[in-house]
Order: sequence, then C-alpha cells, then structure tokens
Amino acid sequence: MVFNSLTFIVFFAVLLLLHRLPLSWTTKKFNLLIASYVFYAAWNPPFIILLWASTIVDWFIARGIYAARDKSRLHRRSWLVISVAVNIGFIGFFKYGEFLMQNWQALMASLDIAYVPPEWNIVLPVGISFYTFVTMSYTLDVYLGRSKPIKSPLDYALFVTFFPHLVAGPIVRPTQLVPQFYEPKQANRDQMLWGIGLIILGLFEKVVIADGGLASAADAVFAVEKSVGFADAWLGTLAFSGQIFCDFAGYSTIAVGAALCLGFGLPDNFRMPYAAIGFSDFWRRWHISLSTWLRDYLYVPLGGNRGSEARTYVNLMLTMLLGGLWHGASWTFVAWGGLHGLYLAAERWIRDRTGIRGEPVRWINRLALGLLTYALVNVTWVFFRADTFEGAARILQGMFGFAAEAEPVLATIYMIKVGVLIACIVATQWLMRDRELERVVSRTPWWLTGLVCAAMLFAVIVTQGSGTAFIYFQF
Amino acid sequence: MGNSSMWSNDVTVREIPKARLVAMGWLAFVLVTAGVIAWELQMRSLGLVAGDLDDSKAHWAVERRKIAAGDYDDVVIIGSSRILFDTNLDVWEEMTGRRPIQLALAGTNPRPFLTDFAADPDFKGLLVVGVTPDIFFGDWLGIPLFAGLLDYWKEQTPSERFGHQVGLVLSRRLAFLDSSYTLTALIDQVNLRNRGEIVRPYLDVWKLWETGDDRQTHLWSQIEDNERLRGHARLVWGPFDGKAMDEEAIARACSQAVDAVKKIRARGGEVVFVRAPSASLYYEHELHAGPRAKTWDRLLRETGAYGIHFDDYPEMQGLEVPEWSHLSRDSATRFTRAYVGVLMKDVPWLSSRAAAQAGS
Repeated sequence: MVFNSLTFIVFFAVLLLLHRLPLSWTTKKFNLLIASYVFYAAWNPPFIILLWASTIVDWFIARGIYAARDKSRLHRRSWLVISVAVNIGFIGFFKYGEFLMQNWQALMASLDIAYVPPEWNIVLPVGISFYTFVTMSYTLDVYLGRSKPIKSPLDYALFVTFFPHLVAGPIVRPTQLVPQFYEPKQANRDQMLWGIGLIILGLFEKVVIADGGLASAADAVFAVEKSVGFADAWLGTLAFSGQIFCDFAGYSTIAVGAALCLGFGLPDNFRMPYAAIGFSDFWRRWHISLSTWLRDYLYVPLGGNRGSEARTYVNLMLTMLLGGLWHGASWTFVAWGGLHGLYLAAERWIRDRTGIRGEPVRWINRLALGLLTYALVNVTWVFFRADTFEGAARILQGMFGFAAEAEPVLATIYMIKVGVLIACIVATQWLMRDRELERVVSRTPWWLTGLVCAAMLFAVIVTQGSGTAFIYFQF
Repeated sequence: MGNSSMWSNDVTVREIPKARLVAMGWLAFVLVTAGVIAWELQMRSLGLVAGDLDDSKAHWAVERRKIAAGDYDDVVIIGSSRILFDTNLDVWEEMTGRRPIQLALAGTNPRPFLTDFAADPDFKGLLVVGVTPDIFFGDWLGIPLFAGLLDYWKEQTPSERFGHQVGLVLSRRLAFLDSSYTLTALIDQVNLRNRGEIVRPYLDVWKLWETGDDRQTHLWSQIEDNERLRGHARLVWGPFDGKAMDEEAIARACSQAVDAVKKIRARGGEVVFVRAPSASLYYEHELHAGPRAKTWDRLLRETGAYGIHFDDYPEMQGLEVPEWSHLSRDSATRFTRAYVGVLMKDVPWLSSRAAAQAGS
C-alpha cells in the first residue's frame, strides 16, 4: 500500500493502537512483522513469497559465512556468491528480464540473426530493488567481517521487512536498525507528535507539490513528440526535478515519521540536495542511503581510490553506471548514471589539478557554483524522465536553444506554478542547507510552526490526492 | 558477546525538537478542523453535495465485477457520457424488473469494451451501447482518467479495494471530497492568456456529473443552474465547425462493431445501440461532421442490430439539454422511460425475460 492512501491511514492507526497495548515486546515485534507483511501483500499478495525467499536465503547464508570464518576464503566466497546470485537473480528476472531479451534481440539483429524473444508479461514486484539491497548489505557485512549474524530470526525478519523502509527505503543497514529491536520501544509523546509532523511534511511534499503542483507540467513537456522550445524544455525539466525530489524525499520523510511514531529511528535519506555545491556534495545529499550503499559495497570493494588515478576513475564510472541501471531497466537510466559519473570524474580531475578543496568562501561564489550544479543536475534528469533517447534529445535540444519551430507547450498557469514552486524549493533548500530541521523548529516560535503545520495538512486535505504511487516504487 | 555490543556504534537515534510540540499540535488541530469545516461549507455553497461518490476506476471496477460474479445474463450499459448521464437505473429496474449494470464512461470510446465483451465467452446478456457519434466513430480511445480499465478491475490491489470502500464512507458524509474541486483543479481553472494555441487546462472538462451507488450518474445540477459553468461546458465541447469525420475511421468502427455483435449474438446475447439526444450547435455540428446515413444508419445496417435514435421517436423530443450534450436530470428520467419502453416492445431478449420474471 502507499503512504498517501486512505488504506494506509487505517492500517497505521490500527498498528499504533496495537503497539501501545500492554503486550510483551516479542509479541509487539511479531505484530510489526505481520503488519509489514500485510503492508506489502496489500499490493500483490503472491509476491510476498519473493520477500520471504530473499529473507530466508540471506539468513542462512550469513550464518554459513560466519560459521566458515576459519575456513578458506574460497569457502566463504562461495556462500556469498549464492546470496548475490539469488538476490541479483530475482532482480534480474523480474526487473531486467525484458530489457536483457530486447538487447539480445538487438545484438542478434546486428549479426543478421532473426531472434524473436518470448512475450514478457512479468509484473515488477514493488520495492524489490530496495529489499534485496537490504538483505545483501546484511550478508556482505558478515562476509566483510564488519558484523556478526543476528541471533534472532524475528529481529532479522523485522529488519528486512519493517514496513516504513520496505518498498522505497531508506535502505537501512543492520547496524542502524537491528539494535533498536533488542529493547522495548514505544514512542513518547514528543516522538509521536514529531513523527506525525514529519508524516504531514512528507504528505505535503508528495500530494501537494509533487502530484498537485508539478507533475502536470513535467508530464506535458515530456509527452511532446515534436520540438520543444527553450522555456518549455527548461520548465518541464525543472518541474520534474521538483517532482522527483518531493516525491522521493516525501516518501522518506513519511517513512522516518511513521517509524518514529512507533519509537524507532530511521536515517535521513535527503539533505537539501538542490543546494549542493558540486557533485560529490550532491551525492552526499541525494538518496543518501543508496549512495552510501554503492560506496561501501561496490566502489570500495572495486578498489575505490586506493589504486591508480585511472583505476579510480574507472571505479567511479562503474559505480555510477550500475547505480543508474539500478533505477530501471533502460539505457536512459544508464546514461543518467553515466552523466553523473562524468560530472564526478570532472570534479575530481579539477580538484586534483587545482588543489582546491572544500567550498568557496564568498557567498556569491557558493551560490553561483550551487546553481550551476543544480542546472547540470537538471540536464541529467532529462535522461531519467524521458522514455527514450529520442525523447531526451528533443528536450535537450530545447534546453540548449537548438529546437526549431517549436510550438508552445505549457499553459501560463503551469509556468507560474512551476516557477513559484521551484523557486520556493530551491530557496528553502539554500536556507536550510547547513541546518537541521529539528534545530530550526526548536528555535522557531511554537505558534508559527503550528501554523505552518496546519497549513500543510489543510493543503493535503483539500488537494485530496488520488493515491498515485510514488515514483521510486517502480525501481 | 551479546548482540548489543555488535551493533551499537551506528544505531539511528532521531533528534526531537526542543519545542512546545503539544501546543503546536493543538494549534494545528484546531486550525485544520476550522479550515476543513469552512472549506466544506464553501464547497456546499458551490453546489457540491455529500453522497456524490465521484466516479473513478475503482467505482467502475465494483460494477464490472458484478458481471463476473453473476450469471452473465445481465443488462449491461456501455458507452460514453451521454448514455451514462441520460439513463436512470431506477426507471430501468421499475420497467423491466432487472437493474442494469452501468459501465458507460465519460469521455471514453465504448468500442474496446464492446470488443472485450464479445471476447468473453461467458457473456450472453443484453449490451446497450450508447453512441456519441464523434467518439464512437473515431479512433480516440478516451481520457487518461479511465485508461487501462479493461484490466484494472481484475488487477486492482487489495489496498486499492479497501481504500475505495473507506473513500465511499467519507464521500457519503463530506461534499468537498470531489476530484473536480481539489485545490489543484481550482488553480488550473484560472483563465490566463496563453501562448500560441494552448487551451488546456482551462478548457479541460470541469465538474459535469454526480455519481451515486451502482454508478447512477446524472448531469450536475449546477450545469442547469449556473450560466458560467454551462457556458464553459459548451466551450469545451466546441468548436462546432462541422468538420467531416474520417471515413476510414467510421469504416473501422463499423467493422469492429459487426464482429462484436456477431460473436455476442452467436452465444445468445444481444446488442442494441442507443443514440441519446444532443442539441443546438452541437447537434448541428454532428449532423454535418458525421451525417446519419454515413454513421448511425450504416452501423445498424452492417451489424443488423437494433437501434434507437432519439430523432425517430416523438416521446424523445423536447427534452432539456442544458449544455447541448447531456440531458437534465428530469429529462434523463423521461428519456430512459421512453427508450426502455421501446426496447421492451421491440427487443425479444428483454421482453421475454421481463415476461418470464413477471410470470414467476
């Protein structure tokens, strides 16, 4: 089920009630586990079997790896290979099967071999990319000697399945969540209120800004099959930049809030990414749990920056290309990741050659570099949003002023909405760039925060929303 | 070694603001409650009513599943908005003893649904197909709101089904829960000068109908009462330029209908076509764009199906068509009584079952 649905409101209310009943901690954890399975099965019950399979496989493999700690590296590695094969096998079949078939067909066609792949009618299980990364991080941590296997199967299953992070992250590590299951947890009054506040903030981002304010403009521009003019191309892309941020950051904020209402802490997944100065800064602020996962389990094992300069660049590009592919079975996602890889490599090259470290001191330089970063990030969003390279090329031609005889696309009301909302998003992110929300709320008069909270909730209610799925569900 | 020592370094602990959260919560609660009450009163003053269930894919799916759960010997209505708004299900039931299943959809071409029923080997009921000429005889499939319905009713998730039921409970009590009067929809209704020939979203269809249980739908009363809303609707239906419809598209539509009617009749089902009234400039536009001989008459001739065209019956004249495309609520009742009366007389599938039911 999705957070922005009436079903979730009923589900969450019942769960909160159950969690506050005078039951044993083990019973409450069982309740949470069952509720998490219900949360997942409410979308498509049969796919819960995949979730169980992924959970069970990594439970046993992590124990196998730990039991073989005194044996040869090959022995331990063979356990790891099974885990990776099963998890990547699931993703590969359900998410990349059709993509692989299509590419195989294209390859055969280039060799003049006629190959018609079977019809591929496989539904992508929601959140599969997220929970397989969660279970893999557990096994990898045990393999790399960073941790020991979890003793309780209940704690382990709950770690994998805990519904706030299950289908769209944050991609939690065992170290961040599992210890919280050892002692009874119940939110105190302030945690509950702050958790509800975060849920309202996340819903506001998703329902009011992403779906209500920006989606129409982005959809209209990216649906055009002819030339797109400069203003429309930029506004459509800016709209998507705001939509994807508010959609995904909104989800993560609701996840953090929901967990907090139950007494648990989940890590931040976003930290004002559109106020980033440079691309390494951007990736410290955007989808933090994925970027750190890729860093720790892909970039570093590949050698990171410990080898030659050339090898570092290769590792960087590989990580970003695979990060792009993780988002979806399409070469446009790979291009998106590749472009970010190029940005990161260019930034590294410039820093290495000039010796410049850190951020500029003067605010005007910081702002200029920040806006340049945001503009270049927008160029990458074109590949992320467009369905094809032709579609991306159309938008990019418009953005760089090469569109010929383009018809206007966006109505004035859409242009105003995009302009106002994007200005507000970017300005807010710059204001909050080096601040924590909790500290800001602590310093703000209570009545003002209450007023803002009321305004957001009222806007959510009157915008209503249609329960549209979050964009990252499809990944 | 205990578990806690293994993991304790990185565990996530959320900071809670040091602020008067309880006071904030109460303030927000009071303000939101007051705001929602004010919004509800404002929406009621604009003509929205509690109990208008807001047609949706989920609402349609409930009706569609009634066929799959029954004996497939149903009366099913498909079509676009005209047959949807212009049919009174209570009158149907009163006259025939059976309540039709209303599956017509606003802004949607019924042909894919006709084909779908033809492909369903279990369906052997009476299919009443509403014909709005510029939709039925064209290639346009319909508005995105209802896209994918042919599969949706089978694939709807448990979460969506439950959410729809909760939504119904709320919609019966709160008037403001209406997809045409969301904050976003209201902002998009602001009329500003646009570049080029852009007309949307201002010329998107605004609220036009009210929906109840069983998808009993009728024209929203405000379209009859509010000149601005009525004028906007007429503007949306335009331009009434009489531009001729594509002959090939008409041929494709007829051919598809022929195939479907044949299949349904072959297993004991029946198909009838109904052309509901239009008026004024819209009616004249339709006469020029798709003359009856080239569209309606051809459809009946090629399919061999029975059809009711409102022009042919005196009892279907003089009806009120406020925005030139849909009947007022009272006229819809009159029209239903008239066309069901004709069907009862001329369509054996219906009259024989009605007689059998009356006899039993």
